[in-house]
Amino acid sequence: MIARRTLLTTTLHWAGASAVLLVLPAPLRRAWAMPSGQEATAFVRQTAQRLTAVVNGSMSIAEKRRAMAQIIDSAVDVDGVGTFCLGRFWRAATPDQQKAYLGLFHEVLVTSITGHLGEYSGVKVTVGRATPSGDTQHVASVVERPNNAPADVEWVISDTSGSPKIVDVIAEGTSLRLTQRSDYASFLSQHGNNVAALISAMRQQVAQNG
Amino acid sequence: MRHPVSTLLLLGSLAGPLLGLLAGCATPPPASDPDALADYKATDDPLEPTNRVFYKINNGLDTYLLRPLALGYRDVVPRPVRNGVHNVLVNLSTPVTLTNDMLEGKPRRAGDTTMRFLINTTLGGLGIFDVATGMGYAAHDADFGISMALWGVPSGPFLFLPILGPSNPRDAIGFGVDNGLLDPFNWLGQGTVVLVLTWSRFPISAIDTRSRLLDEIDQIKKTALDPYATFRSLYRQHRASQIETVRNDNRATVPVWFPQPAHPADDAGH
Repeated sequence: MIARRTLLTTTLHWAGASAVLLVLPAPLRRAWAMPSGQEATAFVRQTAQRLTAVVNGSMSIAEKRRAMAQIIDSAVDVDGVGTFCLGRFWRAATPDQQKAYLGLFHEVLVTSITGHLGEYSGVKVTVGRATPSGDTQHVASVVERPNNAPADVEWVISDTSGSPKIVDVIAEGTSLRLTQRSDYASFLSQHGNNVAALISAMRQQVAQNG
Repeated sequence: MRHPVSTLLLLGSLAGPLLGLLAGCATPPPASDPDALADYKATDDPLEPTNRVFYKINNGLDTYLLRPLALGYRDVVPRPVRNGVHNVLVNLSTPVTLTNDMLEGKPRRAGDTTMRFLINTTLGGLGIFDVATGMGYAAHDADFGISMALWGVPSGPFLFLPILGPSNPRDAIGFGVDNGLLDPFNWLGQGTVVLVLTWSRFPISAIDTRSRLLDEIDQIKKTALDPYATFRSLYRQHRASQIETVRNDNRATVPVWFPQPAHPADDAGH
């Protein structure tokens, strides 16, 4: 009896859930599911090919930077990563501050990656297997650069923005977004938890490095 | 009678935590601000004010002494020679690595370390060339801090030590044990040659390590808003990942070159 009732409720749940899924528009429907391992590895392989083609290509540095920024925009969930990095201060920030912060975060990300294009020439990425973790897939890879020991790099892929996007890169066991988040958190705690101070520091940083 | 370097290192590793205890502690946020309190606990850096003082001192030493030395070393000494120096240093650390592989209870890793030592000391010309990596015996990390972590010893709060940099009580004690007790160079007899070799190994090793991190550290100092917090986070994540790598290395103990035991089904069938 109990078993039958459980079966019935489970069926009802599933029916209800499927109905909701069918009614939802496509982008939202996708947000419910995590990317499959195959989907995630294919995405990482494709992104890695695009990245290495730009880095090892024969374009001028300015052209390479532009191409790189395009890849970052299309392959990285920049807003999602930015929100994550601000942590609990995201809710404390005003809508204007949130907007200014995300704009600056995007610039900081692009300049910090494109600023080192020269050092990465001759890079080779070998994509490995995907391991599910929470609602993300961790895709393993080995990044080889001339005169450097091969590095283990994990790409964290999420579907929450509607299509597979990179939400974190874990290089030799260190997560870029966790490191960035602790940097911002510590800066904020040293500056009276004032998001405006963080925004002006980021603005200065972009002006110096950009 | 212990050697001067090891005594110094042992003292250094113990002095850090003691100095920290004597000096200022961070004030925890009030209980009325649960988010800030949770952050404070997650950061686990109760000695932050003292740690930041040592970070500043070390950063000064690095900017005016170690980094210029490492830059000069990279510019003047050709890459093959630098690689040779690095390989020799790694080979000389075999006893410490091997002891910790065994203390971790990882026989396959101990076997890899032994094979590396035998191959690189002979075919690799006294450790100058790392031929073992190409033969399937890549270098790996093992130190007494990792060994203690696998035994369940907690890391304790974050510490930034003079000279040694980011650490915690477990890793500081681990460093002292590795360099003061486990390293057989401390047990060698005395005399000018031994003294010079022992004293020169530490600075050479420091310059070698620093020269391999030039671009990474420059990049962090340039992009981090709070480099101290970034180094703290990176150090912790890196140690946690090293520990997990060792913990998850559960390869079978029969090495590939050893005759594999026959499959039971084969025995029954023929």
